[in-house]
Amino acid sequence: MVMPGPASPAEVPAEEPGRPLLQRRFTARLLPQLRLLVEECAAREGLREPRRGEFVLAVDEIAGNAVEYAGGSGRLELRRVGDELECRISDTGPGFSEAVIPELLPGLDGAPKGRGLWLARLVADRFAVSVAAPEAGATGAVVTLAVQLR
Amino acid sequence: MSYGDDEVRWEAVTAFVRLGLARGEKVLVLPSPGVPAAEVLARLDFPSRSTAAARARGQLVVSSMREVISPDPEFTAARQMGRLYQETDRATAEGYAGLRAFIDMGWVAALGAEVEVMMRRESGAHALFTGRPYTEICAYDRRRFDRGVLAAMERAHPRTLLERLGSLRTVREPDGVLHFIGEADAAQRAEFSRALRIALAHTAPDRRLTVDLTRLHFLSVGCAVSLLVLARGAAGHDLVEVRCDRGQRRLLRRLGGGTVPPLALTEGVAPW
Repeated sequence: MVMPGPASPAEVPAEEPGRPLLQRRFTARLLPQLRLLVEECAAREGLREPRRGEFVLAVDEIAGNAVEYAGGSGRLELRRVGDELECRISDTGPGFSEAVIPELLPGLDGAPKGRGLWLARLVADRFAVSVAAPEAGATGAVVTLAVQLR
Repeated sequence: MSYGDDEVRWEAVTAFVRLGLARGEKVLVLPSPGVPAAEVLARLDFPSRSTAAARARGQLVVSSMREVISPDPEFTAARQMGRLYQETDRATAEGYAGLRAFIDMGWVAALGAEVEVMMRRESGAHALFTGRPYTEICAYDRRRFDRGVLAAMERAHPRTLLERLGSLRTVREPDGVLHFIGEADAAQRAEFSRALRIALAHTAPDRRLTVDLTRLHFLSVGCAVSLLVLARGAAGHDLVEVRCDRGQRRLLRRLGGGTVPPLALTEGVAPW
């Protein structure tokens, strides 16, 4: 997991219309239920194994990062955007930049940081980290990951 | 699974049913006899009418053990398993990916069945699962079954009774194999690592350890890394064999499993 560094402005992807599938606030206690709900939605949208398992794992790692480093809770939004399944996880922590995610897999003898987000970015077809509503002066990270359904 | 309050039970049945429907399986729910079907459906549908279409097309069936064994009024283990076997065949013939059943064991008292008969059924249920697209949760209300019965079921049941979502259980078989069962998520990382350390210490004289991950429903990056780090540090071991499914193997390799000398990843499937 990554300790969030100072937030830096990140490019916010243009908003695209999508079909909402799931919206949930979560804490550590709710993560098991959140995984099942995400898996259910992913299966319903036609995401097959092994991609479905990878997607659930990536979502869990990002949500777990929010719980651990951004105040113990977060918000998940899952939606269908075209041929993609998109998950957006936001928190109210200090925010962080995608630059803190290691480019290469950290070695097993190094500090145990960053592997979860590294893997989440690896398995995603689209991945971005941005700052929550910077124009309103809000803090917090918004991590978006998406996988192709076809 | 076992539960001590109704919310845990509803959490489990809702997740189990909705995931089965999403995977294209036929789902049979046999609630505790005192619970009205309308309440079951309301719980399953919260917060939306997501199962209405499945009920209409017959993919989701809420029934009772009495109906399952009808027209025979008396429960026998063979009769019940025979019916579930037939229902599995019927589900696949109807085009579903398989059958999953949620069975609240409250039926035992309602049908006046002997606890011993129920235990024989549980310990002899392998034929329902082996090589067949059948998944089952038997839910035990700890307020209805005494501690002795639950302990006996724990030993007799071919599967494992887990308290709730997010649980992790470790089992050391007499042959030394360490099984992880349930969900190895971030909250369970300390317990996961502790069990591994103990198993490595116990198997140091043999210089080899087998770890079975195939009964895990979820393996987090943190627990996978703990496994790799501990295997890498197991200087006294010639072999740490990890039995895993395809997804777990891929995860372990992505995280550097190929660079851990004593580690051998063998692919298998869950025994259900």
